[in-house]
Amino acid sequence: MRIRHASVAVLTAVALGLAACGGSGDDDSGSDEITGTVTLQTWALTPKFTDYLNEVIKGFETKYPGTKVELLDQPGDGYSDKVLSQAASNTLPDVINLPPDFALPLAQQDLLVDVSKDAGVDVNATYVAGSIDAYKFKGTDGVYGYPWYLNTDLDYWNKTKFAKCGLDASKPPATTQELFAQAAIMHSKCPDEYLMSRKPTIIDFTLAGIPTLSDDGKKFVFNTDQAAGIVDQYRDAFKNGYMPPTVLNTDYQGNSKLFTQGKVAWTTGGATSLADFEKDNPSLKGQVAVSKALDTPPLYVQGLSVSDKSKHKATARALAEWVTNADNQNKFGHLVNVFPSTTASASDAYFSKDDGTPVGQARALAFEELKTAKSLQPYEVNTAMETILAQQIALAVKGDVSSKQALDDAVTKMNQMLARQ
Amino acid sequence: MKEKILRYVLLVLVLIITVGPFLWQLSTSLKGAGEDIYTSTPSFVPQQPTLNNYARVADAIPVWRYIGNSLLVAVLTVGGNLIFTTLAGYAIARLKFRGRGIVLGLFLATLVLPGEVTIISQFVTIRDLGLADTLLGVALPTMISALNVLLMFNAFRALPADIDEAAIVDGANAWQRLVRVALPSVRGTLAVVAIFSFIAAWDDFLWPLIVLTSPDKFTLTVGLQYLSGTFTQDQRLIAAGTMIAFLPIAVLFSALQRYFFKGVEEGGVKG
Repeated sequence: MRIRHASVAVLTAVALGLAACGGSGDDDSGSDEITGTVTLQTWALTPKFTDYLNEVIKGFETKYPGTKVELLDQPGDGYSDKVLSQAASNTLPDVINLPPDFALPLAQQDLLVDVSKDAGVDVNATYVAGSIDAYKFKGTDGVYGYPWYLNTDLDYWNKTKFAKCGLDASKPPATTQELFAQAAIMHSKCPDEYLMSRKPTIIDFTLAGIPTLSDDGKKFVFNTDQAAGIVDQYRDAFKNGYMPPTVLNTDYQGNSKLFTQGKVAWTTGGATSLADFEKDNPSLKGQVAVSKALDTPPLYVQGLSVSDKSKHKATARALAEWVTNADNQNKFGHLVNVFPSTTASASDAYFSKDDGTPVGQARALAFEELKTAKSLQPYEVNTAMETILAQQIALAVKGDVSSKQALDDAVTKMNQMLARQ
Repeated sequence: MKEKILRYVLLVLVLIITVGPFLWQLSTSLKGAGEDIYTSTPSFVPQQPTLNNYARVADAIPVWRYIGNSLLVAVLTVGGNLIFTTLAGYAIARLKFRGRGIVLGLFLATLVLPGEVTIISQFVTIRDLGLADTLLGVALPTMISALNVLLMFNAFRALPADIDEAAIVDGANAWQRLVRVALPSVRGTLAVVAIFSFIAAWDDFLWPLIVLTSPDKFTLTVGLQYLSGTFTQDQRLIAAGTMIAFLPIAVLFSALQRYFFKGVEEGGVKG
């Protein structure tokens, strides 16, 4: 008897569910007009920035009467799975927040609009060059996203450990080579403390000026003797005890965790990271020195792409242009330590002014850095490739295989994966 | 004596490995804003214990709505599994029909496929049914699981055939034999199926993430991800959210545990 009741309930639910889905008809009104309902998919911005996003959306709806924007913020984890499944099943939202490495496979499948054509704004004059370049991909021509907010990495140093181990936190390393030198000093004074906290990645090769990807974007080419030399240097540092043994099985997140735990004296992190360190471990307050990234600072870009399948392309593009305009981007940058991609924002004094607080100092430093920041990792490198490379480099740093051999193996496998993409 | 000590040492070791991370989350969720989370030697006792983090979870995300959504999916999944795996398991174990072996083989074969392989084609199917971005779309593919069919199959198969034959002599048809004779003896396995399917539905992340797009329809596992935002991650908040997600499973398990262990014995998987 009980079972029968349950099955009735299930059937009712099935019917209701079907009915609930029947009513989503799209009114296809001419695609040049800015009107209709469009969806905007952002990446992990709510609930913290719900108010900001709603305000921006309201501004858009007021400016273009007859439009309606549906905000679909997606959680941080699994976003690439989400986007790929949307692309595979033809359900991409009209405007999608995509970093360049997520946009690349979609652009290659012709799923995104080339925003350099027929744009409502002069794309090249509106956005800073580096951010536009991030959405130009090898093997395609065009720009496949409106650049949105930018970020970069800063270096964070533990002042207490510097003072204890004979180093000066006001003169932290500025290059990778200085990092090796100071790590040696720290190790000789305090054998139990570590300065270095990560193994080399593809970024180290870019920083050393080694080309990582062939010009046509079809092959990785970083398995050179020079790159092997860099890995050798890390291997020797590891053998000498300059970094904790755990670095061989950690990733970037581990790097900043080790720093928060007080196990290492250095980590990289965005301009927002300082607040996180202090929130997780309040005892770090006042102990962290901030400096510019080693060598060339990295450039991280977020952008808004427009789906080529959108029923209201004009509206979608107008929305993407609206969200990424200087005014709206400046407001966003004032809320959290990210930086506008618009050229007009350079005149906003807020970003360049060091107000004396550590967070303000981090903001000013990072804003300054963005002038020279470059994208250091080719967007062709996906997570699976990163894992392959990290495994091979870990073997080399441990001393199990020669550095050249490890790089050769990694490049072979990564090329196979690249060819399949 | 020596063996006993060794046994206890090993048991305690396994206990620490399984319960340790859980305790760390629990203690993090109770730690006040003034104390360190990451210490070089883990400290499990909060210095400034507070329940504030739990209240902040409710402020940050509509946690009740997410719990409601998750419950709906879980109820559909558990209900579906109880009904359909019973029917399928009984049919394969007790009824004689052509192709029975093939059906059983097919169920076994699907167990070999990892879910990630079929997830996109499954989503395309759900979308074509018009169920994308609905909770029913999340529940539907999990409403009958091959593993649970096998569990029920095993449970029914273990019942003595004589009883069935006696019921046939008494004039009982297949329905009556299932409901009156077979079901009362497999209650334990039903509890196992209920708990397994509840946990699977409650904990699933990737599938609801792909099906659901509107934030107000998210299930708890997906919605909790909002606690770790792009620019800041508050570990205390994330830990509190994890604890909230864990509670219903603990409640259900303690309610059904008597049947659960009976089910594991009566059942299903014999060495």
